Amino acid sequence: MRRLIHFLREALVNIRLNRTTTIIAVATTAFTLACFGVFLLLYLNLREMATSLQSDFKVVVYVKDGTPPTGLSELQGLLKSDPGVQALTYVSKEQALSDFRGQFPEESHLLEGLGENPLPASFIVTLAPSLRSPDGVRRWAERFKSKPGVEQVEYSRDWIDNLTTVVGYLELAAVGIGTVLSAASITIIASTIRLTLYARRDEIDIMGLIGATSGFIKIPYLIEGAMLGVMGSAVSLVMLKGGFELFKARLGMPGRFLGIESGVHFFSGQVAVLILVAGLVLGFVGSLVSVLDLGRAKS
Amino acid sequence: MIQIFHVTKHYDRRPALTDVNLQIGKGEFVLLMGPSGAGKTTLLKLLYCATSLDEGQILIQGRNVARLKPAAVPFLRRTMGVVFQDFKLLPKKSVYENVALPLLVQGLSTFETRRKVMEALKAVGVDHRKESRPAMLSAGEQQRVCIARSIVNSPIILLADEPTGNMDAALASEIVELFKTINARGTTVLVATHNRQVIEQVGRRVVTLDQGKVVSDEGKGL
Repeated sequence: MRRLIHFLREALVNIRLNRTTTIIAVATTAFTLACFGVFLLLYLNLREMATSLQSDFKVVVYVKDGTPPTGLSELQGLLKSDPGVQALTYVSKEQALSDFRGQFPEESHLLEGLGENPLPASFIVTLAPSLRSPDGVRRWAERFKSKPGVEQVEYSRDWIDNLTTVVGYLELAAVGIGTVLSAASITIIASTIRLTLYARRDEIDIMGLIGATSGFIKIPYLIEGAMLGVMGSAVSLVMLKGGFELFKARLGMPGRFLGIESGVHFFSGQVAVLILVAGLVLGFVGSLVSVLDLGRAKS
Repeated sequence: MIQIFHVTKHYDRRPALTDVNLQIGKGEFVLLMGPSGAGKTTLLKLLYCATSLDEGQILIQGRNVARLKPAAVPFLRRTMGVVFQDFKLLPKKSVYENVALPLLVQGLSTFETRRKVMEALKAVGVDHRKESRPAMLSAGEQQRVCIARSIVNSPIILLADEPTGNMDAALASEIVELFKTINARGTTVLVATHNRQVIEQVGRRVVTLDQGKVVSDEGKGL
């Protein structure tokens, strides 16, 4: 316990003694992690959007006009019994018209001159998750296109797939950018610790001469590095939160109308803690690099 | 206690010690004499493993220093106290904290540390300065603090490198008396000095080094 207090106190003394370099290290680590954080925010939000679109994905089976009620029942039975169908909603011609008028009140006059309701009845199908892949949907649609009473099977899968592809690329880029920025953070913290080690080299020598083990000498510097990393990541989180709120305020009305505002989220508590842990690990590794250098120089 | 066999040490091909042989028994007080560059400091450094030897063997309490693994060096150093001419005190720490350091690295309890530190500070007569920083002390007081740090963990060997360098005669005499007291408690003391006054005051075994060689060993067994 006494040793632990000594290690923590020494780490804090180091931070206090090298105030300027500490501030520079924390600030640069914060900016570096914030750059990665912006990317991570974008990636996480797009991934959530893609996942939500995937689960909301619907296929519309349009019914041929003039299909008798028996044919409609048969088609409904066929769809209900299909193992690929998770949920099914029938939209009658009248319902379709009323929905259209509800959604586009200013354009409803377009249908008034036609006399007869031109909108077809349809079944809105939610496919089982196993069939939601591009291939699965296409195969299922092809199979039902030829069923009696079916006019057309429609699905707008492409843009969801494109979004999924983009999210995939973002994931790759996140790994790449994360690696580069992590290396930058490690280098920054390693340099700071190296400066501390240089400033306290006499003290390190004396500690060795009075019988301190290598671990006893190095532990405070490892703690200092970890502390710098955590401070850097905490500052980056504050910066990101500020930026995020500013972005949401800028979105304003158009964002609310498009549903983007409610769809974008800041990091969850878990992710925020993970970012702090990442800072701690980066700081520790940075410090370890310098401390190992010290060991090599000594030997 | 300390056995030195045919020890040779070079710095950049320049010999610092050549074929040195020396036996120091338990509880002995030995003075290492010689002019600057004679090899006194090198010999002490070899004993506390601050440098490595090129040839020969050094046994301290039967342990071969040359074969010691780096991880074992701190544990050997904990059995000895070292007094440096330049004191080597930590400037940002108080006198108390400086003296407590060897006990802290050994993981002693706060209570035990306080007891031992106060005992050591009293023994050298600087207990009233325990809160001061080294920079606030005179050279003599700093040397006393350094001695307190070297004896705080009750070492079996005390090594001192020019402990009275740059001190006036009165101060040097006080320091020598301290070493004599420490030796009287059973600690083996090895002091490197070129101060004649110290040699006369101690009146014990004197080993003289010159150009890295032992040229005389007087008063052995006194």
